[in-house]
Amino acid sequence: MNSKETQYTRRSAGQWAVAWRRFKKNKAGLAGLAIVASFAVLAIYGLLLDPVPARSFGCLYQGCTNLPPFVDSAHPLGTENSGIDVWNEIIHGSAGDLYVGIGATLISVVIGLLVGAAAGYRSGVSGAVLLGLTQIFFVLPVLVIILLFAKIFLFLVAQGLALSLIVLTLGIFGWPLFAFIARGEILRIRELEFVQAAKSLGASGSRTLFRHIVPNLLSPIIVLSSLAVAANIITEVVISFLGFGDPTTSTWGLIIQEGFDHIDSSWWVAFFPGIAVVICVLGFNLLGDGLSDALNPRLRE
Amino acid sequence: MPETVLQVDDLKTYFFTEAGVVRAVDGVSFSLTKGKPLGLVGESGSGKTVTALSVLGVVPRPGKIVSGKILFEGENLLEKTENEMRGFRGKRIGYVSQDPNSSLDPLFTVGNQLSEVVTTHEKMSKEAAREKVVDLLRLVRIAEPETRMRAYPHELSGGMRQRIAIARALASEPDLLIADEPTTNLDVTIQAQVLELLRALQRELDMSLILITHDMGIIAEMAEEVVVLYAGRVAEVARTAEIFAAPRHPYTAALLQAVPRVDRKRPLVPIGGNIPNLITPPSGCRFHPRCAYMIDRCVSEIPPLEAIGGGREVSCHRWKELELRGSS
Amino acid sequence: MGSLLNYIIRRILFAIPVFLAVSIITFLVTNAAGDPVQIVRLGIRNLNPAQLKAIQDYFHVNEPLYTRYFLWLADLLRGNLGQSLYSGSVAGKVVPWIGSTLELQIPAVLLALAIGIPIGIYSAKRQYSKSDIAVTTTAIFGISMPTFWLGINAILIFSLYLRWLPSFGAISPYPPWWWGNIYTDQLAHIIMPLSVLTFVSLAAIVRLIRSSMLETLRQDFVLAARASGISDFKVTYKHALKNAVTPVVTVVGLTFGTLLGGAPALETTFGWPGLGYEFVLSATILDLPVVLGITMIISAMVLAANIVTDLVYALMDPRVRL
Repeated sequence: MNSKETQYTRRSAGQWAVAWRRFKKNKAGLAGLAIVASFAVLAIYGLLLDPVPARSFGCLYQGCTNLPPFVDSAHPLGTENSGIDVWNEIIHGSAGDLYVGIGATLISVVIGLLVGAAAGYRSGVSGAVLLGLTQIFFVLPVLVIILLFAKIFLFLVAQGLALSLIVLTLGIFGWPLFAFIARGEILRIRELEFVQAAKSLGASGSRTLFRHIVPNLLSPIIVLSSLAVAANIITEVVISFLGFGDPTTSTWGLIIQEGFDHIDSSWWVAFFPGIAVVICVLGFNLLGDGLSDALNPRLRE
Repeated sequence: MPETVLQVDDLKTYFFTEAGVVRAVDGVSFSLTKGKPLGLVGESGSGKTVTALSVLGVVPRPGKIVSGKILFEGENLLEKTENEMRGFRGKRIGYVSQDPNSSLDPLFTVGNQLSEVVTTHEKMSKEAAREKVVDLLRLVRIAEPETRMRAYPHELSGGMRQRIAIARALASEPDLLIADEPTTNLDVTIQAQVLELLRALQRELDMSLILITHDMGIIAEMAEEVVVLYAGRVAEVARTAEIFAAPRHPYTAALLQAVPRVDRKRPLVPIGGNIPNLITPPSGCRFHPRCAYMIDRCVSEIPPLEAIGGGREVSCHRWKELELRGSS
Repeated sequence: MGSLLNYIIRRILFAIPVFLAVSIITFLVTNAAGDPVQIVRLGIRNLNPAQLKAIQDYFHVNEPLYTRYFLWLADLLRGNLGQSLYSGSVAGKVVPWIGSTLELQIPAVLLALAIGIPIGIYSAKRQYSKSDIAVTTTAIFGISMPTFWLGINAILIFSLYLRWLPSFGAISPYPPWWWGNIYTDQLAHIIMPLSVLTFVSLAAIVRLIRSSMLETLRQDFVLAARASGISDFKVTYKHALKNAVTPVVTVVGLTFGTLLGGAPALETTFGWPGLGYEFVLSATILDLPVVLGITMIISAMVLAANIVTDLVYALMDPRVRL
């Protein structure tokens, strides 16, 4: 078989349907989708219905602090030292962490696509500059810089905006990989025969972009986005755990930090939110792997 | 009585994929006379390469040889264990694969890879292996073999790499050489050189040769006998001269019409349609959806591979009545 | 080998602009937001005159911004990392922290490679078998876990419940030593953080090796080698292995960066006196000279690790030495 043929299949509406059919057969990918959907439901439930406000200390006055899990049906996963309900924090935390994970990824994707497209269309110097930039971001101990950033800027913004500041920071530091992939794909697709053919037939630049390049770019970007959300959630958890996050908004890292401070008396406060992190991140990772298998069939047999 | 070196009998090799069972080779039979060059011809996806890999016993997953017989000098290769097969692969049957750019390991020198094959088949000292490698490189007409040995594949040209792949296949003077589209990925001038080399080596070493190609022009130059494959089955078997003069299968005729010729003016006729999906192949004759001479029987009944005299075989219900045009 | 030397030199030269870029970003983060003295005041309300002088000297506050950057960079390159706002010179304090961070990170990477490469190959050779599914399932859980949270669970089980291992620090501050003497005491302290770090990097490496191996096993030269009679064992462990590991080497260099980036959380969890833990402590009280010093040292270490892995890569793959 011709090697170009195997590496490249033109995507059309039909092809997305084929990808979806392939995805439906992938149990791990479906499990990932189900997990992600469940957390989305949980987050919306917490935001809209808000049965118990986040970080509510109500229990403090009723003497139900430090309650172990599975003893009181009102507090299924127990309460922490100052009476905050662990299950309620997991619900509110999923809104916070999905906001950070997805929000930061969207920012990265937008910046990455713009920069990558610019570099892809003007190969040469700007391509080399972009390559250098991505390398810098690879080498940069991003987490350390983000921590430094968060520490200094959190003092300077209003408290309600602190979480958004973290979204922005993660987004700004996450774009280079997207730009790199976008540039590579654009360069590759531009050279393909049918795009060259479309051009020689007089197809306009923007038509080439939207009919041919965008659909082909989507699949690697979608896969990478799912994995980036997973990575961003872990980073957020680390930031909050270390006490560099927003102390007024519920996130999983924050409650884990509170649990870790009292680890010898109430293990459940750090344990259960951590389980939520693992399941949620696992969900995005499984989804990403499943999408990658469905969208790049040549990697499978 | 000419001796038969290889006889393939009703070979079936299927690929068990997620989408379904791909019947890549579905009942292929042919035989090869010792010391002769045979052409295996067909479009991509006709089962040429899978047939070759089946003979060598290296069908990649998820492929599997389902049934049939492969007799090599009287021994059925399908009954051999993996260990016994290694006494055939590379030792008695050499293989040159399609793309010289990817058939050599990029991380080892050419000399390393050649001496690895040499010592696999015959215990010998390092020094002896080195000399053998130099001889092999000379055999395939590579100048300055001592220098070339130390080169990595990426430091050599495509034609040079294909010569090295040929040298590797010849490492232990095999009785049979299978060359799978050996020139497809080379420049035209280099193509001619590599073909010339193969032809010369075949005569010099008195080897049997299976040349796999989709190019009838190469067949005309290189092969004495031709097996035409279509969608995993044999369409026609004949001597080269006869097949060009008077093809008996409509597919063969169509292949000949698609070959450009300089010596006369006639329209080139491409073959309409595509090679069929081998998960759900067409019923009856697999060529019927693309065949200009199709009748109802072609849809309902599989045509058997009939011997029609003079060593020719054809698998077509209408071979007697059709007047097909050859190329000469 | 002249081309290899050439490659090394080019690689080191490339590191210079990267290092400069990192220094600019780090410097801007701490200076663009406003007067660094004001920032420090946010963490330390009552700066004493010595602290004030230390911070003013460190940032050369009387100069314009770009001059400040170059003066700071010049100090940095001379090895002058300034004075901590609490005790002593940063350079003097940082050196032992580097040691204890590396004591954890380097063995973890090496162990993860030593265990991960065979497992990844095994898994790829038996794609979709039960053992492969077990490996890939464990690995995807491994990469979905915050390292520090795994550490918290280890502390819960092995320190608080079983009481087998210490939960904090690299060594007991005073006797009794764990398991008898001062050496076994250090061993007892390193077991948990090292195992946790190894497990998480192992998961990433197994996934990389497995997919790289699957890709390699599909290549023509593997088929061609098998078709020329070379044994399956030799094809797998000579040709496929080298081709599969080579690209992973680069990724390991990048992983090392992520690992060092993960050091703050892991070291904080185990109270491990390394760069990460000290970074968190110093950042919390806004001891900026220490924070900036650690950031630049970690960056330099990641750069060095990348150069080393690139060199290993060049030694393994003749195609990159061009």
